[in-house]
Amino acid sequence: MVRWIAMALIITTTFFSCLDPGSCHSCLEVFPDIEYQCMARNFSEVPVDIPSSTQKLDLSFNPLKSLASRSFSRFTGLRILDLSRCDIQKIEDDTYQGLCNLSTLILTGNPIQSLGLRAFHGLPKLQKLVVVETNLVSLKDFPIGHLMTLQELYLGHNSISSLKLPHYFASFSSLQHLDLHLNLINNISDGDLEPIKMNLNLTLDLSQNPIQYIHPGVLKGIHLTGLILRGNFHSSAVMEVCIKGMTGLQVNKLVLGNYKNEFQMTNFESKILDGLCQVDIDEFWMVVPSDFPSDSYGFFRCLVNVSVLHMVTVPLEVLTNLPVFPKLFSLVFTNCKFETLPTLPSTSLPSLKELRITRHKDLTTLSDLKLPSLELLDLSQNALNILSCCSYNNFDTDKLKYLNLSYNAQIMLSKNFMGFENLESLDLQHCQLKGHNNFPVFLSLTKLQYLDISYTNTHVQFENIFAGLSNLRHLKMAGNFFQGNILQDIFKNLSQLVTLNISYCHLEKIPQITMKSLHQLQVLDISHNNLQTFEPLIFRPLWNLQVLNCSYNSITALDGQNLQSLSETLVSTDFSGNPFDCVCDHQIFFQWVKENIQLLNRSKPMICQTPSHMKDVSVLLFDDLYCQMKKTIIAMSILAIMLVLMALALVYKFYFHLMLLAGCKKMVGEESTYDAFVIYSSQDEEWVRKELVKNLEEGVPSFQLCLHYRDFIPGVAIAANIIQEGFHKSRKVIVVISKHFIQSRWCKFEYEIAQTWQFLSSHAGIIFIMLQKVEKSLLRQQVELYRLLRRNTYLEWENTNLGRHVFWRRLRKALLDGRTKRQKEAAE
Amino acid sequence: MKIFMTPLVALVLLCPSCSSKWTTHTACKDDKLELLYQSCDPLQDFGFSVDHCNNPLSENVNIRFGIILRYDINELFLDINLFSMQKSIFSFSYPVCEVDFPKFSFCGRKKGEKIYYAGKIHNPSFPIGKGEYHILLRLHNENNFTITCANITVISY
Repeated sequence: MVRWIAMALIITTTFFSCLDPGSCHSCLEVFPDIEYQCMARNFSEVPVDIPSSTQKLDLSFNPLKSLASRSFSRFTGLRILDLSRCDIQKIEDDTYQGLCNLSTLILTGNPIQSLGLRAFHGLPKLQKLVVVETNLVSLKDFPIGHLMTLQELYLGHNSISSLKLPHYFASFSSLQHLDLHLNLINNISDGDLEPIKMNLNLTLDLSQNPIQYIHPGVLKGIHLTGLILRGNFHSSAVMEVCIKGMTGLQVNKLVLGNYKNEFQMTNFESKILDGLCQVDIDEFWMVVPSDFPSDSYGFFRCLVNVSVLHMVTVPLEVLTNLPVFPKLFSLVFTNCKFETLPTLPSTSLPSLKELRITRHKDLTTLSDLKLPSLELLDLSQNALNILSCCSYNNFDTDKLKYLNLSYNAQIMLSKNFMGFENLESLDLQHCQLKGHNNFPVFLSLTKLQYLDISYTNTHVQFENIFAGLSNLRHLKMAGNFFQGNILQDIFKNLSQLVTLNISYCHLEKIPQITMKSLHQLQVLDISHNNLQTFEPLIFRPLWNLQVLNCSYNSITALDGQNLQSLSETLVSTDFSGNPFDCVCDHQIFFQWVKENIQLLNRSKPMICQTPSHMKDVSVLLFDDLYCQMKKTIIAMSILAIMLVLMALALVYKFYFHLMLLAGCKKMVGEESTYDAFVIYSSQDEEWVRKELVKNLEEGVPSFQLCLHYRDFIPGVAIAANIIQEGFHKSRKVIVVISKHFIQSRWCKFEYEIAQTWQFLSSHAGIIFIMLQKVEKSLLRQQVELYRLLRRNTYLEWENTNLGRHVFWRRLRKALLDGRTKRQKEAAE
Repeated sequence: MKIFMTPLVALVLLCPSCSSKWTTHTACKDDKLELLYQSCDPLQDFGFSVDHCNNPLSENVNIRFGIILRYDINELFLDINLFSMQKSIFSFSYPVCEVDFPKFSFCGRKKGEKIYYAGKIHNPSFPIGKGEYHILLRLHNENNFTITCANITVISY
């Protein structure tokens, strides 16, 4: 007993200790045989149970301490190796030998103290090396000279104090990104960047280095794709000198500025940037400067030849006295301090094609904009309140193709975009839109291909809201409302539509007609509505539908039969988040889901909501077999009931045949010639001949009756015949009572003898048949008969189908009683 | 024997869940205000302190904050949920780092890198009414991986 408890304890301990990160020695299999995640598993060496075919291995946050030679030689297919913060202090020679496919090596956060000269040997395809925060002091001793395939080298957050690039950088012809941010580099001296002179594709990040001095002319002849200098200069004087020192540099993108959370330099005077007149810049970014000179002309003076200008978080309220930017193509102001749109004279910006003024929380008023060559205007994420949008009065820019007014306060659509005939993209999402339910506001936008009016508080009432948009390909209108929560016929002229998003619209019904003309539609999102069900046939006109998102509605099931026609073109669907009713009635739908599981690879699992025993169970676990069994059981039981009923009917119908076959009656000793002697009045003879004789003697089983007109022997006294032929040779006596019977003396005689006979033979032998109703007074004349009829059961003749049927059955049964087997055989 | 084993088994079962709860630290304490925090990231704890606990909080608060990143933060978002009497009374999401808009020097830092921030943060100054408030604070990156998660308790006397 104790042993068992101890064992259970050990097992539970091992199991539950795995829940505690860092103590369980097994990796997460992200993709079998391809990707393994072993982050923080407390490994002190490379785990042995990882397959050698692995391509991506994350060993970060494990206390590996040191890496011995050929630690990874097993993983010849490895492409990405993450050794972040593994407390690696020593990397021995040939540690990575054998990793001939490795393209990314990450060593962030390791306090490397000892690096073998051949530490990075055997990495012929390495493209990205991350040695951020690794106690690196100098580039001179860093043994990476042979890594000629390097494209990105991250050396940030170290203690490198000199930018003197070793000569081997000259052989890094593919190097595109050299990140030296947050080091201790304080100057750029002669020859520092000489090895990269021939590399024209390099971006150099020197942010957060305390640069004091750039030797004038040191960058002459250097061509950089990018140079980032943020948070470098601690005073405006230093900055001015350093920028002057950059003379002769050719740079595609120059980023200057600071950080919001770092030391802010004061006294930003316009002359600081004077040195830039000697620098060839294509794209200039000024990011989070502490200040902006009052003389904006002076600030931009040396930037007039740039083609792209970004001003990010610049304390700029007004823009006056702009110089002429003959080549400026794109101008961006992000998060500056504008309260009205800055005046941008077209004479200063003759080539401007893109203007973005975004993220100004105080920018509420739109002023007129006259930039005739403008093609893109982005005024998103401001607080604009546009009272009359949009016509050439607002923006006299007849070449405009892209207009983005999203994430503003309120836009009154009172003009119908006259003068915007070239517009291809219009984004109005997350603004309060008004006026577009009154007239076809987009009527003149015949070239528009993209329209976003998501979350604009639009209450669609007007059916022609999209009139004129004959070339629209993408329509997003999530988060709006429809009249009566029913989708209206608003898409009728959008025959070119490729994507449509009507999610979060509280829709309860999608009538078939609404999708009729969307033959080109490929992507449809109707998620997060209140659809309870819909007929899959509504998607039949969508011949090109590839992606269908119906998630998070109130759908319990769909018509599975009609879904079949959809799956031909579908590539992806999502039905998750619906309260599925997992009952056998919807079996076809769930079967369709199972058969088309490849379409659901991007969706969350589909979960049953009802019935209660299936709650929270995946739809995929819905058991078809159970439904089939249920069906079979029902069919079988119906069949069985039918059979039983049929058998019963047959038994009923062929009861007498069966009785004969079974021979269930016991043998009785005595034998008789006749089955019954019939006592009747001669007045009733017609009935006896036509009904009684015909039915009993010709039917099954056939009975032999004794009838006086036929069976009495001539020449013998009637009384003798009655006794000899009638009673002696018959088992039973049938008495046919009628008015005539009571009046007949012979009948009375015969009946009295029968009674005596019955008394003598002591068995129930008389069967009364009441042929017609006899009046009580008449019956009372025959006291004995009256008494007998009151005491005994008699048969009553009824001239209806059912009555006759019952009558004959009862009579046959009564006659069969007491019949011997032989008689039966004879009868057969 | 059974009596001896039962608490032992219970201890084994419950212990991993105890270890994932980090201790509650005090960020600052004053006569009128107390700020406590507890990491709700199962992977790690972090350090945080506020220089002066004034009520109302001054507009520029000096804070210190240290953490080791478990994921890259090319983009970083801050979600704040304020609870009072177990009810969410305020929720707020703020983009800290965006690809085209990296305002702070720690934006773009890499997995495994240490962040230590000591400096001012701007926050609107408002008096804190008497009572106990709970703030759920979560920083996550562009892939929705948690960078930091903290349950902060503000007690105003």
